Amino acid sequence: MGVLDKRKKKRDPGEIPMASTSDVAFLLLIFFIVMPMKSDEIGLSLVLPGKETKENTVKVKQSNVATIKISYNNAITFDKQTVSLGQLEQAIRDRLLANSKTVIILETHPDADYGMMVACLDEIKLSEARKVSLKTTKI
Amino acid sequence: MDFGRSSRKDPYIPTSSMGDIAFLLLIFFIVTVVFTDESGLVVTLPRADAGEEGMRDMISNVFINSAGMISIDDVIVTAPDVVAIMAQKMTENPFMIVAFKTDKQTPYGVVSDVMESLKEANAIKVFFNTDMEIPGQEF
Repeated sequence: MGVLDKRKKKRDPGEIPMASTSDVAFLLLIFFIVMPMKSDEIGLSLVLPGKETKENTVKVKQSNVATIKISYNNAITFDKQTVSLGQLEQAIRDRLLANSKTVIILETHPDADYGMMVACLDEIKLSEARKVSLKTTKI
Repeated sequence: MDFGRSSRKDPYIPTSSMGDIAFLLLIFFIVTVVFTDESGLVVTLPRADAGEEGMRDMISNVFINSAGMISIDDVIVTAPDVVAIMAQKMTENPFMIVAFKTDKQTPYGVVSDVMESLKEANAIKVFFNTDMEIPGQEF
């Protein structure tokens, strides 16, 4: 008898706790607000000269030009003098100090690594040179 | 009559509707968030110190892998094809920035050809995607 009585007892219907629902909503909200802010786009920006026309062609004195050349084997020269990547920033800074009108031309061989071109462009940006031009060595 | 001494209730901000507001905001952010579904090509980006953040909304990606394959919107294209594609994109968004997600070992000639096509398409704002420089690691 005692066993049957126990089976007839009303069971408490289960409840899903709702108290923390708003906390979960807030956490999701924070996630969706912050996620688009996270920018994975980091890089070096540059404005290309556009189509070559008479209007946008600028003549620069040879004395105001400094050329960085990257050869096919990724060797770097700055005004025909061989430099290492680590020396480049200071070399550009020295040149800009001597002549603030200096235009930096980055001439890269088509067979050189893109990574080396970006590394040189990075050094140019670090040296705070404002006038930069990209050129490809003709072969 | 002692009007001055009547007991006042402490002011409080009702917080019962906070969860509803959170849910509404959550729905708004879920609906408006944009996930990029472009898979592109597998590339190892070059590293740079002077990297700056790019505006993701304005960016159109150009993937170039170490073998020189070019991918735009998950379609393999050639450098001359880039002119028509980018000209079309420029009509849709005149402030577009073209981001080069290029492998560091890609021959620069391929990148140069794409840049020439971009000039033709008048897409002159470019962005060379990079990884952050890791202190102590040589390029």
